[in-house]
Amino acid sequence: MELAEEGVPPVINLTEVAEREKEEFEEKVSKLIIEFGAENLMACMQCGACASICPLARTGFEWYNKKLIKAILVGMREELLDDMTPWACVACNRCTEICPRNVTPFEVMLAMRRLMVEDFALPTLTIEGLRSLYEHGHAVYMTGREARKKVGLPEKPPTTDSDEKALQELKTILKNTKLAELGLIPMG
Amino acid sequence: MVSEAMVSEAETVNENEEKKLKFGLFLGCNITFNRPDVEQAMRKIFPALGVELDDLAGQSCCPTWGTMPSIDDVGWCAVAARNLCLGEEKGIDLMTACNTCYASLNEARHKMLKNPEIMNGVNEILAKIGKKYEGKAKCRHVAWVLYKDIGLEKIRESIKYTLDGLTIAVQPGCHFLWPSEVYPDKEKDPFNPVVLRELCEALGAEAPYYTKLIDCCGIGALRSTDPEKSFALAKDKLECIKEELDADLIVAGCSSCTIQFDDVQEKLRKEGKINFSIPVLHYVQLLAICMGFDPQQVAGVCVTPRDEIIKRILEGGKR
Ligand code: SF4
Ligand code: SF4
Repeated sequence: MELAEEGVPPVINLTEVAEREKEEFEEKVSKLIIEFGAENLMACMQCGACASICPLARTGFEWYNKKLIKAILVGMREELLDDMTPWACVACNRCTEICPRNVTPFEVMLAMRRLMVEDFALPTLTIEGLRSLYEHGHAVYMTGREARKKVGLPEKPPTTDSDEKALQELKTILKNTKLAELGLIPMG
Repeated sequence: MVSEAMVSEAETVNENEEKKLKFGLFLGCNITFNRPDVEQAMRKIFPALGVELDDLAGQSCCPTWGTMPSIDDVGWCAVAARNLCLGEEKGIDLMTACNTCYASLNEARHKMLKNPEIMNGVNEILAKIGKKYEGKAKCRHVAWVLYKDIGLEKIRESIKYTLDGLTIAVQPGCHFLWPSEVYPDKEKDPFNPVVLRELCEALGAEAPYYTKLIDCCGIGALRSTDPEKSFALAKDKLECIKEELDADLIVAGCSSCTIQFDDVQEKLRKEGKINFSIPVLHYVQLLAICMGFDPQQVAGVCVTPRDEIIKRILEGGKR
């Protein structure tokens, strides 16, 4: 018996398929999240252990750890960039401690922040904190010193606040980090 | 990847056990500007317990989560490493009463020891200011220094006032516990911590287990992103403390938890959402009061009143 011409299945070029899949993956959020520090992202089995103890899940934030990981794995992007959940993560690492697959979900949260920063999708308070870190060496900084005086301490603490050389050192460090490349704050 | 063995090899700079205990007092931002009474408490209790303190002149923010950690690993670790260098150069470890500083500095150290790429990147940056971090100096937590290096016996001997008859709700705080992998000292069960409870018991108080003992206080990123959710979380825990323990006092191991429970109670009371008031202290403040230091100096900054409980402690004497 002879096979009809049209019955012959087309030859599948495996190299081409692999390349196409690679290109698709390159564009994916998941690759960026891995690059930004969540190396074990792909090991997630969606067991939900991390969500069961996450303060964000408990207080009703939209994209808490397990759900964010799922969304990243299915390739969502725009919806995630619009949501501030990663900026509410308290970095408690309950999720890291409990995850049976060593995914370190906190690193996924952090990587998501790092991805959002590149899109300038970050809260004003975060920019303020960075600016204050650069200007004073303290992310939380107060000019009022009544409390220090009240408890009998010198107004100036022994930090970058009273040490110009140390502050310049810190500024030099910050100028040589990715913060300077991003141009989020003036770094004169 | 560097092996675990290398991580533990670099574990300590205080090699000679016989040497007098000495630590670099790492202050961070919140203690320095918001709760300097916690700083003053540390400056009083440690020298009295035979521990020498170094000021780590020129120290900065640890850096906290919303800053460099949200940008990239090398920048985070470089700022942390500069702080750690201030101790390493003097052959001492750092010591903090703020859980965020404790976590940020130790997570950064863990990353640098585990990943030579990060360590090299950091040291390239540090070279520009003439520094190099070798991974030796780490950051210790005040509660662990008191528990392990000084010991409950010495604490018992050092106090002038005991807390007999008082019930304390302890708040160890998230970054005292997790991720346990990165910390120099670890609870046997990080989901059932006992160190802070035993420290409180050493002062004569009861410090029982309660169901929300390990819950988050809700400060930090959660509070700055959505205050209402943060307050709701804190309210849940406060109500649990009231119902299950009817505690006389909340004692935290972290300056940020101290701020949160102190602030939030006042706010919730004003809004008519709770009708009780439980004073909040950091453990170092409670110990300082029990050791006889001036409460105005070591516990003088709060919004939820502390006067009554302090009066009760001082009137009780040593029983
Ligand atoms: S990150 Fe870990 S704990 Fe969370 S769902 Fe995935 S496997 Fe489970
Ligand atoms: S670190 Fe963040 S994501 Fe993980 S449990 Fe804590 S709040 Fe949730």
